[in-house]
Amino acid sequence: MSLDPSTVARSIEPLARQSGTIADVLVERRREVTVVWRDGEAVETRFVSTEALAARWQRAGEQRLVSLSRVDESGLREAVRELQTGLGRAPIPLRPAPATTSPQQESAPAVERWSKRLASIFSRLAPRHCFRWTLQEVARDMFPAGAPWLSHTRRLLSLEGSFTAASRRGDEARPFSFHSPESETTADELRACLARAAEPREVPTPGPEGETDAVLAAGSAVMLFHEILSHPLEAGSVSPLSGLQEARLAVSDLEVRDDATRLDLFGGYEIDDEGVRPRPVKLLDAGRLAGRLTSRASTERLEREASNGHGRRAEVGDPPLPRGSNVIVSAGGVTREEMARRLGQGLWIEEFAGGSVDLARGSFRLLFPRARRVRRGRLAEEHGPGMLAGEILPALRNVESGLGRETHPYRGLGWCSRWGQIVAVQGASPDVLIRQLAVRARV
Amino acid sequence: MTEQRIASLLEAQAPGAWELYQKEGASREITRTANQSCETSRKEEGFAARWWDPALRFAAASSAAGLARLIPLAAGAPAAPGPVPRLPTGRSDRPPSPGPPEAPPDLFEELARLVSAESRGEAVLSELSVRRGRSLERVRNAPGLDVSWSAKALTGFAAAVGRRGGRACEARVPFRWEGEPALPALARRLCDRTTLPLSERATAVERGEWLLDVSVTAAVLSGLAPLFTADAHPRWAARGALLPPEISIVDDATSEAPFDGEGTPSRRVLVVDRGTLGEPLHDLSSARRAGARPTGHGVRRSYRTPPVRAARRLFFETQRPVSPRDLLASVKRGVFASALIAPLACDLENDRYEAQFTGVTVVAGRAQSPVAAARARGRLSELLRRVAALSPGEEFFPMPDLVGGATLLVDRVSFE
Repeated sequence: MSLDPSTVARSIEPLARQSGTIADVLVERRREVTVVWRDGEAVETRFVSTEALAARWQRAGEQRLVSLSRVDESGLREAVRELQTGLGRAPIPLRPAPATTSPQQESAPAVERWSKRLASIFSRLAPRHCFRWTLQEVARDMFPAGAPWLSHTRRLLSLEGSFTAASRRGDEARPFSFHSPESETTADELRACLARAAEPREVPTPGPEGETDAVLAAGSAVMLFHEILSHPLEAGSVSPLSGLQEARLAVSDLEVRDDATRLDLFGGYEIDDEGVRPRPVKLLDAGRLAGRLTSRASTERLEREASNGHGRRAEVGDPPLPRGSNVIVSAGGVTREEMARRLGQGLWIEEFAGGSVDLARGSFRLLFPRARRVRRGRLAEEHGPGMLAGEILPALRNVESGLGRETHPYRGLGWCSRWGQIVAVQGASPDVLIRQLAVRARV
Repeated sequence: MTEQRIASLLEAQAPGAWELYQKEGASREITRTANQSCETSRKEEGFAARWWDPALRFAAASSAAGLARLIPLAAGAPAAPGPVPRLPTGRSDRPPSPGPPEAPPDLFEELARLVSAESRGEAVLSELSVRRGRSLERVRNAPGLDVSWSAKALTGFAAAVGRRGGRACEARVPFRWEGEPALPALARRLCDRTTLPLSERATAVERGEWLLDVSVTAAVLSGLAPLFTADAHPRWAARGALLPPEISIVDDATSEAPFDGEGTPSRRVLVVDRGTLGEPLHDLSSARRAGARPTGHGVRRSYRTPPVRAARRLFFETQRPVSPRDLLASVKRGVFASALIAPLACDLENDRYEAQFTGVTVVAGRAQSPVAAARARGRLSELLRRVAALSPGEEFFPMPDLVGGATLLVDRVSFE
């Protein structure tokens, strides 16, 4: 940290003297390395290192934010001065910038170590590929007025792209994405996910059209609940769930929570971008609608206690919005075989390529790259890309009692864009059986 | 740490084969809802270097000192050798530093009134964000290129919610204004997008003419854009005429910036010349691979990412433009697509497209009844060949690169 917390406090605290006012400074240092892999060879390497600082003031419905790509005392003074000028207050005097400190030593990223691991994984499981591997380290320091400063760092790893896999009638290109915080087990988990994605498969036939029941397996139900619970329950959102607090919307064994404290998942964090430690929030408690995702800026009262730690900024210069993090669905007791038997006829889906929700209409769409047909409780032919669609309230009602016995992290989901602001998200879920969704094939 | 020092570092790493990019940007943004406002001021500086040793390396940082620290790290990372492109040369005057931009206009009340009036009270403006930005960019390279240019833009998005009975529909529309704010057009687009889907009526026309609003045409053109930067074309595109002979597709970013993100001068390129595929768009690397001249299409979307080969300002051009009013009058039986309700799906490899849109049924040149949602899908090649007429270019949309919209009339399309 190059900013002295007491200096920041002296600068920012005069802005928050009136009760009901938020003032804070957020500092971010981001280091990112990207390696483009093609057929076992690292063909391009990119290193990015950025710093940014933002000063914010908020009172009632008015918010002001100034951001700069410079993290030092003169940057801080410039941001606070501009904030004060915008508020019509006497700005703090300009001072000559202090002598710059000696350049920080860049921490050597783990490129070499990962390059060896990836080369080995790719050569065994997917020798023909085009992948982009990214490791980013994001350190954020939050200096809220009237409270101690907080700091946290996340190291996030992503692998995205496509590879050529064998299918029973020849080769086919398959998309692959994997997002995980970096840990000792990440490489093993990545290997297992890629091995599963590279398994030989039948050539897909065009997807079905009409209405279908579906099992969302291998953790992919996270995508559904992210769209139909997490987004509608972001504070300030108006959706069919508004005004239904404590209403029973689903079977009593369905429990869904948003848990940013799960640091083993991609969407986890220790403090939010308003300086509040996140709390797990029950979204659906025994089938009843429970909490909402709140930030300081989104609540009527601007105290820290009113927020459950979901004020998130995509970039330092963006105002914080209440956003979801990790969607966690509690496990039930049903085995995979029993789940297929209960489904009877329908689709077995293990991955989604994307999803969206229209909160005002209350409808959602989930795009899947492939699915397995289930006939008489047994996995049958492969289908190509398609789309599941439905409405939020009926979809919740149509989740069947009896959830899968094991909860799987869904590493295919890593980022969520809302109005162009992209934040890390993820989740874990057991297999979920849902009835009566609209399905159709897509281009 | 000066840029000169970085240039020396790069010359030591890759003699004669480096490029240094620098950007200063500032923006002011006002975001308003009915009861909240947020004013944001951003200042950003960024440096990026690319060099070929002969493996391609890239490093970017928010300060010159940060970039200098990254260069040795990037130089030691694994990367396969590749061909070194021929770097451009040339010099330009350095424009003055753009300084802080003025605050953007607060247009919330005026747009809210227009949206309400246009929709007869069914739609309400929920959010408007207007950003005024200025930037100064500079590219230098080993052979001696040193060019700079400045740019400014007024951009943003507007969101509205339409309600009828218990039904509601929300939409968000991005915009980019080159001159004065075009509020009536924005209000109309928001109203159509939020109120037409509430009609819950399907189209009565199963097959007929398809009239595309400027925003829908821009989405189609954006879907086609990868064709113009591909090293090899799919068979259906290479086979012969892509469009009727009076229609061309042009990429011309000369009005936006005199150079691309690699320092190559911008120029007008006919990517479809009177119906058939014309000159492809090249950045430095693809030009080297193809043995062609770069066309000025190395696009930097941020200083944090290396330039990519992409269209910069793509639009349709016709020898016989027809006004939107006359295009509407010429429709015997068809559907006007006012707005897309899902992203356009374009599979260029397999010659397929699928568009889901909301609009209005048109019979004998007159709008008849709203269409909540309809789907047009089929072969892209057929869609393009059946373009009957189009209006002069009207507006450019950030998708994310600029794509021009025009009202487009297509014959014999099937609707679901």
